[in-house]
Amino acid sequence: MNKELSLRQIAYMYVFISISPILRQIPRALAAAAGRSAYISPLWSAVAILPITAIVIGLLKAFPGLNIYEIMIQAFGAFLTKIIIFGYLLWFLLSITAKINIYAQTLQFTLMPQTRTNFFLITLIVLVAYALLRGIKTVFRFSEFTLGTILVIFAILFVCGISRIRKDYILPVSTIHLMDTVRASVGVITVGGNVILTLFFADKLGISTTKKEKRTLWYGTFIFLILCFLVTLVTIGITGAALTANLPFPFYITVKSISFFNIFERFEVIVTLICVLSDFIAICIFMILIVRCFEWLFDLKQKGFLYAPLTMIIFYLTYYLSKTQFEFDFLYQNVIVYINLVFQYLIPLLLGLLSLFKIKKIKKQF
Amino acid sequence: MIYVFAVSLIYTMIKKKDQLLGANRNLVLFLLLSIIGLTLGIIYVINPYLSSISSMLEKYMK
Repeated sequence: MNKELSLRQIAYMYVFISISPILRQIPRALAAAAGRSAYISPLWSAVAILPITAIVIGLLKAFPGLNIYEIMIQAFGAFLTKIIIFGYLLWFLLSITAKINIYAQTLQFTLMPQTRTNFFLITLIVLVAYALLRGIKTVFRFSEFTLGTILVIFAILFVCGISRIRKDYILPVSTIHLMDTVRASVGVITVGGNVILTLFFADKLGISTTKKEKRTLWYGTFIFLILCFLVTLVTIGITGAALTANLPFPFYITVKSISFFNIFERFEVIVTLICVLSDFIAICIFMILIVRCFEWLFDLKQKGFLYAPLTMIIFYLTYYLSKTQFEFDFLYQNVIVYINLVFQYLIPLLLGLLSLFKIKKIKKQF
Repeated sequence: MIYVFAVSLIYTMIKKKDQLLGANRNLVLFLLLSIIGLTLGIIYVINPYLSSISSMLEKYMK
């Protein structure tokens, strides 16, 4: 079996596509739900994210070389699998349109307030088409090479930001806030659940994945949790929970007040660029997954003809999904978060449990 | 933009002719997706101020 990707590349991709929600949505959602104690929520989210990572690694171990579709066929049967894959297809369509929407809004809010959404969408289509023409490996390699630099930039930002954190913005935290922080952690859990995307590319990993490779997925999860915690802490510590809850991109505003020993300033442009790159990779990944879902659903041998009509559908769906920041926020907080929970946790959990019961029967076939 | 997409669909049809005519399934899927895309595009061209899915949900959920 051809080993097209490595688990390390997938883990890096997972962290990379999580960066934009970590910077944009998470601090805001957490501050709105849990106030000044919101930075504790990423710690609670570990209770859900670590088990789902364990399930993903368990499934990779139990079914080497098989992707989520092939595992589902063994566990659920062909008919139910097709229905679930159709559900995943719709989820990916919703996710990609939401991602494109927020990508355009980020650019309008930060760097180009006068530019029309159309321009962002057209340039994005061209860039995504170019990236996909180069192949799936290019997308993963891009995130693999860029992530290290981005993490170093974040480390510098956090170090520079520590002196600006106001104690009265993050303390005191009492047990009364505990339930709020637990409830707020849903916002982190739905982003961290993207780790299940690993299963969609599991067939590209080859039959043998080493222990060291599997460990990288754990590292990816831990980096995600630490990044979440630090971004929320710095944002709330510098900007304050009340303001963070009401800003569309709080980390962008927070970074405005950070300087590197009063020598370098205006890191917000870098933060916007990181966010846009993260969105770009996420959109590429979702496009690849949508095409994969079509391949699985209709047993397609070729897929080249799918790109043009799909691009058209996604382009117009972006306009139909939401038109303003307020509409998008409503949709994200009331719909997308809960749909994510179903597809990132409920279905993989069922798959994990069923596979556990059927594993002996399935293993006999191979 | 709908014209650009229409041209890209025709271009795909010509370029991927062998794939599309090679299997009925491919052709049907391509036509179905193209029709959905074109319908969405035409509706948007006719009324670009149509209320979004999000605003409709907001109306019913509140």
